[in-house]
Amino acid sequence: MRLFLALFALSAALAQDAGPTHADWPSYGGTDFSWRYSALDQINASNVQSLAPVWMFQTGDYAENLQATPIVQDGVLYLITARARVFALDAATGREIWNYRYPDPPRPVPGFVGNRGLAVGGGKVFFGTKDNYLVALDQKTGRLLWRVNIDDAQQCGCNITAAPLVVQDKVIVGGTGGDSAHRGYLTAFSTNNGHLAWRWYVVPGPGEKGHETWKGDSWIFGGGAPWLTGSYDAALNLLYWGTGNAAADFYDARRVPTGADKNKNLNLYTASVVALDPDTGKLRWFHQEVPGDIWDYDSAYEVLLMDLQIRGRTRQALVHMNKSGLTSVLDRTNGELLGVFSVPEVRTWVTGITEDGKLVGRNEPQLGKSTAICPSAAGAKSWNSMAYSPRTGLIYVPVNEMCNDITPNNNPAEEGENYMNGDFPIRLIPGRATNSHIDAWDPATGKRVWSVPYKYVLLASMLATAGNLVFTGNPEGEFFALDAAKGNKLWSFQTGAGHRGASVAYSVNGREYIATSTGWHSSVVGGAVQALFPDQDWRLGSSLVVFALPEGSAK
Amino acid sequence: MTRSLLLLAAGAVLAFPQDPSAMLKRGEQVFSQTCATGYCHGARGASGGAPRLAARGFNRAYIMGVVVRGIPNSGMQSFEGRLPDADLAAVIAYVAALNGVANPAAGLGPAATGASGPQLNGEAARGALLFREAVRGFGRCSTCHEVGGFGIPVAGPISQVPASVDALKSLATPNVKTGTIDGASMPVLVLSDGKQGAQFYDLGATPPVQRNTLPGEAKFSAGSAWRHASVITAYSDAELDAILDYLRAVAQP
Repeated sequence: MRLFLALFALSAALAQDAGPTHADWPSYGGTDFSWRYSALDQINASNVQSLAPVWMFQTGDYAENLQATPIVQDGVLYLITARARVFALDAATGREIWNYRYPDPPRPVPGFVGNRGLAVGGGKVFFGTKDNYLVALDQKTGRLLWRVNIDDAQQCGCNITAAPLVVQDKVIVGGTGGDSAHRGYLTAFSTNNGHLAWRWYVVPGPGEKGHETWKGDSWIFGGGAPWLTGSYDAALNLLYWGTGNAAADFYDARRVPTGADKNKNLNLYTASVVALDPDTGKLRWFHQEVPGDIWDYDSAYEVLLMDLQIRGRTRQALVHMNKSGLTSVLDRTNGELLGVFSVPEVRTWVTGITEDGKLVGRNEPQLGKSTAICPSAAGAKSWNSMAYSPRTGLIYVPVNEMCNDITPNNNPAEEGENYMNGDFPIRLIPGRATNSHIDAWDPATGKRVWSVPYKYVLLASMLATAGNLVFTGNPEGEFFALDAAKGNKLWSFQTGAGHRGASVAYSVNGREYIATSTGWHSSVVGGAVQALFPDQDWRLGSSLVVFALPEGSAK
Repeated sequence: MTRSLLLLAAGAVLAFPQDPSAMLKRGEQVFSQTCATGYCHGARGASGGAPRLAARGFNRAYIMGVVVRGIPNSGMQSFEGRLPDADLAAVIAYVAALNGVANPAAGLGPAATGASGPQLNGEAARGALLFREAVRGFGRCSTCHEVGGFGIPVAGPISQVPASVDALKSLATPNVKTGTIDGASMPVLVLSDGKQGAQFYDLGATPPVQRNTLPGEAKFSAGSAWRHASVITAYSDAELDAILDYLRAVAQP
């Protein structure tokens, strides 16, 4: 018995240790638990007023944005730009150690220009490209080691903008294409030589379980592309990923079987959180957040793994937000739903959500008619990540309050071409002085603890630190720190370009740094929302700005 | 197409037989599937996330320039090569019509049919689809061959189409060698091998992996155990026959 208890305590301790980052920022979401939380507290609520830039790095890739989350390992910061130019920099000074420039694709390829990050592991640097290659560089020199094509980008209408995830001896990557006539998948390769390890299709093929939730041949172009980065629990050896919306987005008559029950498990495994065996790519369990989605509500976003006290019991949980702002708290060992809450203040797509996650009063757009749906397809939250602080027990979420008027059409599918089947002009909500807010939510109770409104939109990732701070940036170029417990603004700095990327914390030789990417993205969601504020000139750019306390001032 | 568009923009009128109403209809279709969608211009150019295009007073030269070159520092990318030439012309005509241009389709090339490339008969057309059929995953021909703008050019252009399915299966592949790195051997297609090191495709897995090694790191020897027959198992003989029909139909004489 005593031995059993000791083992239990050990495994529980490991789970909480796996969340925070320390000197390094090893992975897209901080650690494989995706908290975007640093245990560093040298920069904290009592001294953040002295925070000042110490170096910056201009990537030279200025035509668009800088969205990438940097990776930091052993004092070296790795950064990728929109056009897949990769840099290794001295994390204390910004001095360039090496750079690698991925060649521009020889053929035109679909998709916007952007890259959300790289991965580092096994002595290599991994990234995806616009022409759909997964690439491995030597971590020490930046020399190209191997590259492998995951699909013909022009045929599938898909490519890679997400950061890959390294899990043991594999590198796993998702792709875009959820709005094209395409069938989404995750693909895993050997980190050693790029050999295919497995591919998992979001939409099951004939003979596979879940295939019966698709009408006729609709599975072939069923969408569901998992276009962001997943999480990994080494103790459970489970890989977690969010999947995209079903295609066509706004018209479902071709994909929903006649007489199907829209309450549960429809068009699997789109708009779901899935747990896979990372060794084989086999599905272990799933939880579908939006059965038979018809609002373009992806579940492709980040998956936060954390232990929570729920109804008096410690649960190995995960927290996941759908694009609608519907947030699920699941038992990450088996997918059991532990809680659910909805984040946006204005919601018209459903009238409610039951405790067991069922959607009530679905407000479905009808063919050829305009239906006002809130939140918009740009998302109550966009792809940029939330953060979680174990000190406060809160998640920090940038929330946008916008609607769209959806008019579906029944255009036929053409492989790789846009297959949204609808027109959905995004608009502001009349009568609101502010159109977004940064929220702190308690995932154990589903209660909003504080909320700070903002005039425009918020599309940058959040960073939480043990210094009782939450960092993020806005489209006007301001990078700022909030008190993690109360939400009041403690510090800000004008970086000169809009924020559509991410910030990280790390330390080198005992000095803590906060680094943020800057540079607005005027395509896709960034472009759509900027059009709502025609007097605003949110600046593009591609720079990393790095802050620290003045030397000698730290405790 | 770009050249002809630019010529037209410069004032040269190219005369092609055409049906303006069919072209505008196709233009509307292309526009609704490509330009109106996503976070972009909205149905009939009435605006979405991107600017309104209808009734802006745009002339055709301007529309062509933007469609072909895109607008730097914006979400408007170049559509050259992204759409078949006939569809590019059709969508330019359609946006011109939205801006009240008289005779918007005049001189813009052959009426768009939605088809590009050579006309294929039934079997060859089926072969074209089989060649790149996505549901076959990495088992399809286009994983290693680029034909008609589809696929990944791992292998060089297909210079000779095998006469039969049997010939396809027993295809000699003397260009596939055996590579050895750190004691591990694999079939390889060598792209270059010199003082800078070697670049080759590792055919030890599907899809093939393009690998770069330092000088002396990889050793290559003639011959390999690799067989073309073992990578085309996703197809039946009848399907392979249709694919050969397709390759013959598009083969360069």
